[in-house]
This record gives sequence, structure tokens and C-alpha cells, in this order.
Amino acid sequence: MDVIKKLQKIVGIDRATTSPVQLYCYSSDSSQIRGTPDYVVRPQNTEQVSQLMRFANKHGIPVTARGAGTGLAGGAVALNGGIVLDLSGMDMILDIDINNLQVAIEPGVIHSRLNKALEPKGFFFPPDPGSSEMCTLGGLIANNGSGMRTVKYGTTKNYVLDLEVVMADGSVINTGSKTLKSSAGYDLTRLMVGSEGTLGIITKAVLKILPLPKARTVMLASFKTPELAGDVVVKTLSAGVIPSACEILDRVTVEVLNAYDPNIAIPDAGATILFELDGTKGSVQEQAKVVEIVCKPLASGIRIATDREEMEEIWSARRLVGAAISRINPNKVRVYVGEDIGVPIKEIPRMLKLVQSISKEFDLSIMTYGHIGDGNLHTGMCIDMLDNEQWEQLDLAADKIHRTAIMLGGTVSAEHGIGSARSRYMRLERGDALDVMILIKRALDPKGILNPGKLGV
Amino acid sequence: MFDLDLRSILKCVRCGACRSVCPVLEEIRWESAGPRGRMLVAHGISQGLDVDTDVLDSLNTCMTCGMCKQMCPAGANPISVIENTRRQLVMRGEMTEAQRKLNERIIQSGNSLGEMSDRHAWLGGYDGVIKETAGYVYFVGCLGAYRYPESLVATFDVLSHFDVTILPDEVCCGSPLNRTGFESAEMITHNAEQMHKVHAHTFITSCAGCHNTLIQNYSGEFEVMHVSEFLEQHLSELELKRLNLTVTYHDACHLGRCQGVFDAPRKVITAVCDLKEMKTNRENARCCGGGGGVRTGYPDLSLALAKKRLEEIPDGVDYLITSCPLCTKNLIEGGSDTDVIDLMELVRLAME
Repeated sequence: MDVIKKLQKIVGIDRATTSPVQLYCYSSDSSQIRGTPDYVVRPQNTEQVSQLMRFANKHGIPVTARGAGTGLAGGAVALNGGIVLDLSGMDMILDIDINNLQVAIEPGVIHSRLNKALEPKGFFFPPDPGSSEMCTLGGLIANNGSGMRTVKYGTTKNYVLDLEVVMADGSVINTGSKTLKSSAGYDLTRLMVGSEGTLGIITKAVLKILPLPKARTVMLASFKTPELAGDVVVKTLSAGVIPSACEILDRVTVEVLNAYDPNIAIPDAGATILFELDGTKGSVQEQAKVVEIVCKPLASGIRIATDREEMEEIWSARRLVGAAISRINPNKVRVYVGEDIGVPIKEIPRMLKLVQSISKEFDLSIMTYGHIGDGNLHTGMCIDMLDNEQWEQLDLAADKIHRTAIMLGGTVSAEHGIGSARSRYMRLERGDALDVMILIKRALDPKGILNPGKLGV
Repeated sequence: MFDLDLRSILKCVRCGACRSVCPVLEEIRWESAGPRGRMLVAHGISQGLDVDTDVLDSLNTCMTCGMCKQMCPAGANPISVIENTRRQLVMRGEMTEAQRKLNERIIQSGNSLGEMSDRHAWLGGYDGVIKETAGYVYFVGCLGAYRYPESLVATFDVLSHFDVTILPDEVCCGSPLNRTGFESAEMITHNAEQMHKVHAHTFITSCAGCHNTLIQNYSGEFEVMHVSEFLEQHLSELELKRLNLTVTYHDACHLGRCQGVFDAPRKVITAVCDLKEMKTNRENARCCGGGGGVRTGYPDLSLALAKKRLEEIPDGVDYLITSCPLCTKNLIEGGSDTDVIDLMELVRLAME
């Protein structure tokens, strides 16, 4: 059977390939996971995806969905060959329905593009990943990604009302409805969110949107130690203020940020907390006052940014800081492993301390930053890529970070996904629940063709 | 042994941030047509990936516009990796037909167009007024000399009032060769010798490609100024009149993003008329679609990108002003409804 001819018949001759250079370019995402597909296909619509799935299911060909390939856990990497479905070309914003507080989109729409389209109408889609400028919404949904505003607004799963999903056998279902709530049966929408392409291919989504807050303020508070910073976050939340973002930046991260964009000039400190407060003008002022009172006895400095441009500059730099470590040491490169742990909020100071000791134990520089307000820490490890010994240390340190987070009642992935990079921790973290996941997987994808080798299922 | 700088390639952490800015990827959509894909391809080649047509297309569809380099959070430099990889492949004899022909043309004729006629033909009316020595040399460039004589005349009309001459025997600056993987040492030596002959210390350019190359690939013994930078210093001496025009300005990638010349052309423009910016401008300006050998090697892609740039012209402008003849050519051929003229032609209008 000539598979490529069949694939080209479905999507058109220019949209399916076996060209070695394409297979090579689609063999990785941002993680260290590699797997070369046999075919790359760029479908244009649901009907094509459905036909592709029917064909793949019949012949037992693995199918791995991919958006922009910006994932950090190998979720979009074809471990067992087969087809990589590049969905980035299905990128229409289908409907902006302000009266119903929702939008309908195709999976390939870039996150920031949606918010740029919503802004003039006074609305926004709150999840705010660092990869906003490049990640697709399909990928964000499939990984239940989130970002900096989770502490107040929750994660992507809180905003998905309905998904059109092509199932393993090619059938097409809708998991929800246009209503803002529904109690009709199993919540298949939430089942699909975060399923990383192992249960079906998302071809459309209806997302809830919110009105943009009238006012925003960013406060930068500097601290001598990360533990002091962690204490302040816990105290702020228990004082009744829920910031719209609450980010921690350790000393190295601040140095990297300043190197990436000297304009933002964040003062050097053991740790810095970036608070963003939003709401009406009055409520923002009130919240700022509380944050100031909480910070004052513990902080070594507080700076307030209300100018829109200054705030946007700080956030833009923060979003991309993860990759910017080479700016201060050209021989060190960020490697995305062990980078996405989450712990219960009150365990943050302890986790920060443990990360420091892991850094010393394995002699690795670890820049720690992340969404401290929701317990999500990004531990950014950097190595000389040409030094094999450092690679070994890196894997050992990542393993220890993962196990420590689980020990504190946390998770190995708060927002980047499990993929295959973290699948070996699923049993440890989820226990017997993993067996239920495996049963669901077998029921919906009996031939195991949807993104095999991921999630531990 | 394939001599690629592995460390430069490995700087790319494959975060994909460059996907959001690469105009070619936006057009072609396959991963291999974006900076991240090209970095992977460069890495692949160093690990033994076979070089086929698709590999050459991946590397050669880069316009070297520098958007990716500018925004890369990791500080990677895809342009340098891509140009280096092109060079390594050319050394192995692996290149596209368009690359091979371009190289042959330049070697045979001394210019990128393969013209065998007199490079100084545009000088017609200036016979006898060319200074034998001067501190500044107006480096005219191939495209200007053979395709846009009127803009060279406009430029030289202004510059000849100052301590400026031209090289008696100018040849191509080497830009098309450097961008597409070839060596240009002979051209560089030849032009440098000519500079010594006229005792000049500074090149004045009116082409973004020449400008970038004279800075990047020459030894650094000569200063390089874009004509707008020179004029900015002499605006008060020129007695320019105010024109009742509103124009927009296209930032050439190799002049703006690559060499940071943004303000001087704007100062010259606003000295003579009103300026309305294009949708993307300065550091974020989209490429005209012509750079990096794409105009020669992939004309359809190049024109499609030119059309996208033309969509960014604001309403109600009389001219689209450029400061590079390659941009001028590509934007005109891309079907501009607005007249496209060189900055110096605008200045000339203000001197009449």
C-alpha cells in the first residue's frame, strides 16, 4: 500500500510529505525527546482530519498531533513513527461572540493573536502562557497550559466550553455546548483538555472569554532570600488579595532579564516578586496598599509600575526569560528538563530551599522563576551542551526535583504537560488513578494509534 | 570534515519564538522554512543529513532579514548559522542552480546583474567633474548603476557639492556572494585598493545590502555611512524646500534592523515633507521579500512577500520611500499602487 499517495489524496499533494528534511524538522519539540515520523501531513479542515484518522486507524498507523511544536515534554514528538499532523495551518478565528462571552477557534490559532483580536472589543482570554507569541491554542488546550494569570483566573480547562474532536476511528464529536454551564453527563470536555492528543484530535474549540479589567498595576518587591519572598506570597494570599499574576524571579533570573532587556532594570536581589493587580482603579489601589503592608517588613525594596508600556515590557521579557540564560553565559544553554513542578502554595518556601540544595548537590546552576502564586515553579537548568558529564548531572537533578515535588504533595507538571519526558512519574504521582486512565485510553483508542508512548498510558 | 560552529547552532533551544516573526515561514508553513527548522537542518547537516533539494530550499529561502535574530531570547544568530552553512555546502559543490549562476555572473562581470556595459554610464553628464581624491566615496552599487541611474544621479547631484567622489573602478561590494555562500575576497580587496587610490576614509552608501556588507565584511579600516546619515549632518547647507507631500518609509532590513539606521532617513524625510509610518516599521519592519538571494532564487516567494509588505502602506500617502534599490525593485514588481521612489529622489524634488 502506498501510504503517502493515500495521504496526499486526502489533503492534497503539497500537504503531505515524506521528504527527509521535513521528517527531520518535525522530529523534535523544545524538549530533549526525539522521534522521527514517517509522514508529515498538514490538514486544512475537520473532514480531512476525520478521513486521515479513519485511514490511520484501519491500518494501525500512529498519529501525533502537533501545533507549533513549542511543547517542553515531547508531547508532539512521534515516538513510534507514523504520521505527524501539523495543525498549525488550521488557524481561523471562526466567531467572536461577545454577547455569549465566547469565541470559536480552530486549533492552529496562535494564542496572542486571539487576545489581539479581542482587545479592541474590551475582552480577553485569560490563560497567559510564556509562549503566547508562538504556541497554538490547540496545543494549549491539549496540555491544559496556563501561565502567569492562573492564581486569579485558573487554567485553560476553566475556559473550554466545547471541543470538536476527531476520535481514533475518524468519527467526530462535540464534547460540550455553547452554554456557560452544563451538567449533561460525563464532562468529556475536561477529559480531552490535557489529554495531549492521546484520546482524539481537537479540530475546533469554543472558549469562554472575560471583560478586560479596567486597571492594572505591577509591583516589584525585592527580597534578600527566596524563602522570604515565598513567605510574602503566602501572606499576601491569606490577607485576602488574589493578584492577577504573582511571579518569582531568583537572582540569576533577574540578571538574565536585565541582560535580555536592559530597559526594565530590575534591582539585584536574592529574589524578586512581580505582583500584578487588576480590577477597577479603586480596587487596584486597595490591593496595592495591602501588598505594600505585607511586603514592607520583609522586602528590601518595592517599585510600582503603572505605565502600560513599562508593564508590557516587563511581561514580554518575563515571558521569554526561560530561553535567555545564554545572554549571561554564552557557553550555557537552557535545557528543558524538570522545569515545571507544582507544589501546594504553603510548601513554596520549602521547595525553593530544596531546589537550592539540589543545585549545590549536582553542581548545576538552576535559575528559578515561575508562577509562585499558584505553586508552579520553573527550575531552569543550564549546561554546556558539549559536556557529557553535565548532561548526566542534569538528568539526576531533574529526577530529584520531580520526586521532591511529589513528596511535598505536588506535581511533576503544572502546565507544560507530561508527554514522554515525564511519563515515568505518572504512577508515582497518580497512583491507581493511572489504571483508570489506561482503561479510558483503551476504550477510546483500542488500537493505540493516538500519540503512543505518552502520559504513561 | 564539516566545519560548522556547533556551539552557535546549539544556542537554539527550539522554543519556537522565531516562528512568530519569520515572514517566510508564514508563507510556506512547513517547519523547514522557518529559523528553527533551518537551525535544525544546519545541525542535521553537521551530523550527516543528506543534502537534497529540500535541504537547499530550506537554507536558501531565508531572506536574512534578521527578525529571528532580533527576537531570539537565547541570543542565537540564525543568519550567521545559515550563511555559514550555505558557505560550507558551496565549498562541497552543493548549491542551487540560481546560486551557481549568480556566482558566475558576478565573477565574469563584476556585478550581480551580469552586465558587461560601462558601470559608470549613469555618469554621462558629469564628465570632468569627478574629483580625483576626496575624503568620502559614494559607493553606488550594482543595482543602482545598472537599473536605477536616475536615483544615482539624484544622489550624486547632492553629494557632489561636498568632499565626495566615486571609485574609478568600483566592482560589486560582495554582498550577493556573501549572502549566498561564496567568497568575495577579491572584490573586497579591489574596492579597498580603489579607496586608497582616492585617499578616502569613508564609504557613503545608498543600498542597504552594500551598507551591511561594507561594515560586516570589510576590514573596518573605512568608515561607512548611509547617504541619509551624511545628509542629516548637512541638512542646513542644502536649502531644501518644503514639499506638499505625505510619504511613508520602508525600512530596509540590512540598513535598519541589521545596522540600526532608523532615524537618519526619517529626519531627512521630515525635513522636506510629512511622514506617515507603515504598519510595521523600524525594528519590526517586514522585509520587502528580496534579501538573502531569495529574489534571484525564489522569485514567486519573493513577490508574494513583497505584496504582503505593500499591504502595510498607510492610506493617503503620495510615495513609498525606500533607501535600497533592491527593496525599490521588489516593491515595484510586487505591484505597488503607490509610487515607489528612493529617498534621494525625494530630496532632489525638494531641491528643484
